[in-house]
Amino acid sequence: MTALGRVLRGAVPFAVLVAAWAAVTGAGLVSALFLPTPSAVAWSLWELARDGSLWMNIAASLGRVLLGLVAGVPLAVGLGVLVALNRRLAPLVEPVVGFFNALSGIAWLPLAMTWFGLGWTSVTFIMFNTIFFLVFFNTLVGVRTVPRIFEQAVRTMGGSRRHVILQVLLPGALPSIVTGIRMSIGFGWRALIAAEMIATSTGLGFLIFNAANFPQSDTILVGIITIGVLWLLTDRLVLQPIERRTIERWGLVSTAP
Amino acid sequence: MRVLRHRTVLFLLTVAVVWGGWELFLGATAPRRIEPELARALTREPRVNVAVTLGFAPEEFHIRLFQSYGVVSGVKGSTVLLDRVPAGDVGRIARYYWVRRIALRP
Amino acid sequence: MTRQLVVTWIVLLAAVTAAWGLAAAMLPLPDYYLPPPTAVLAALGDLVAKGILPDYVAESVRRIVLAAVLGLVVGVPLGLILGMSRRVADFFYPLLNFFQSVSGVAWLPLMLVWFGFGERTILMAVNYTVLFPVIFNALLGVRSVPRLYVNALRTLGASPWRVARDVLVPGALPSIATGMRLGLAYGWRALIAAEMLVGANGLGFMIFNAQNFHLTARIMLGMGIIGVLWVALDYFLLRPLEEATVARWGLVQR
Repeated sequence: MTALGRVLRGAVPFAVLVAAWAAVTGAGLVSALFLPTPSAVAWSLWELARDGSLWMNIAASLGRVLLGLVAGVPLAVGLGVLVALNRRLAPLVEPVVGFFNALSGIAWLPLAMTWFGLGWTSVTFIMFNTIFFLVFFNTLVGVRTVPRIFEQAVRTMGGSRRHVILQVLLPGALPSIVTGIRMSIGFGWRALIAAEMIATSTGLGFLIFNAANFPQSDTILVGIITIGVLWLLTDRLVLQPIERRTIERWGLVSTAP
Repeated sequence: MRVLRHRTVLFLLTVAVVWGGWELFLGATAPRRIEPELARALTREPRVNVAVTLGFAPEEFHIRLFQSYGVVSGVKGSTVLLDRVPAGDVGRIARYYWVRRIALRP
Repeated sequence: MTRQLVVTWIVLLAAVTAAWGLAAAMLPLPDYYLPPPTAVLAALGDLVAKGILPDYVAESVRRIVLAAVLGLVVGVPLGLILGMSRRVADFFYPLLNFFQSVSGVAWLPLMLVWFGFGERTILMAVNYTVLFPVIFNALLGVRSVPRLYVNALRTLGASPWRVARDVLVPGALPSIATGMRLGLAYGWRALIAAEMLVGANGLGFMIFNAQNFHLTARIMLGMGIIGVLWVALDYFLLRPLEEATVARWGLVQR
């Protein structure tokens, strides 16, 4: 089946859902405040797109994701490799990072607000934090599970430490790292939306939380749909292919779950 | 029998034992917190006004909690004045381990 | 863990605590930025003595347990049933995928409009967050059982019920365990967020409220407990469950 055919087939359940939605609201079973009609939501989408506020909020949220990635991934991978190389330090640091991993995300928000106040710093910190600890952990585990024989092979051929890192450890850990990046964006995206509801005045989270004050249910639904669609697009079009290709290329080494 | 040593089973057993023991402890120590005068009044009247003494200055948490039992008419230091508490609820208040004393107010 | 590891661990812990205390004392920041470790311990003692911490912990645990039970009792059967028929599964797969991508927290504003501030709103958001990964993974689990096994039983004359009971459900169990683990991971975090936004008790509320009063020691304490509770839940309940199902029924490849 062609790609277009697959997309169309995937769209059928949503068409049915929208039809059911239209039927329920059209029949007056639910008040418009509770559940606006699909056309009301479409109209709201059009309005928000036209006056730019939708794009601005999308840009704000995505910008924070990118910022978190750019700051978090290099730091996490760098530190992860460094710690993993130290055979004494690694087993001690691993459970600590694992613990912070369990803690990451929205639980840091009050502390971030204490340190940075309201605004994008606190919110981006949440994203950075979620990405950093998960990728750090996965890098650490990934590097440590590279079979020593590969490292020894490179050494016997006269490779320096740099060679070992760049040509054995990093590629070997790459599947784990990429999986970590993918998972952390997933967790981080959720934490970001929650943080935007509480601590800032831009972004999709703020958009939908603010709309609850009026209450503008149609705006809320526009926001919710945007949040879901953005994640699905990012995950299926960007993250999963990268992960798959990484595992295909360097997946000789077993990765951590 | 080996399954009993598995960490999940041990964990759940520990939780059950600690929780159960704690509830028993609460139930046993509760009557001691009620002043005798109050205890007598409980048998006579459906609602009482009490003064609940804690070991510390009450926080928002405690005030809100007491509001679910009666009307908070004032706070004096570490004592909360609570009005119109149903007699059955006095026992429930007494179960909180952080309550020191509950006395009757005229 | 070897004794040497434990000793090194304790030394490392002591070093970190000392460094923390030193930093707290020496950094030119207002007191509430970085309370020393003693302050956090004091907060622990204080909140336990006042009965606040046990109450909040109990509330959060109660909510997540409810969500877990609902996920197990409703989500798993639903996912299994939806997965049994190829066409039904294909139909619901994109829908479940989409709704799983939207966390319960994103639905909170709408639920606030529907139910207002209160316990029901929190529970709905958390239950939603837990349910969808569970249903989705249960569905995937059933679909991933190789037709070979199903056909084998059918040729022996088994009824659809026997096939379901002896092949499909056990084959889906590893996937179900993963779904529970994922759903509760998302759900625990959604719970903290929901308690911050909507709650009047629970750990999320505790750390959020503490921030209003600059009681940073309480925030750090709360964060520590949130992490510890999740680690305990994962280590004692979720991971053993996942490992047990994979060990026993993990013949099925995903």
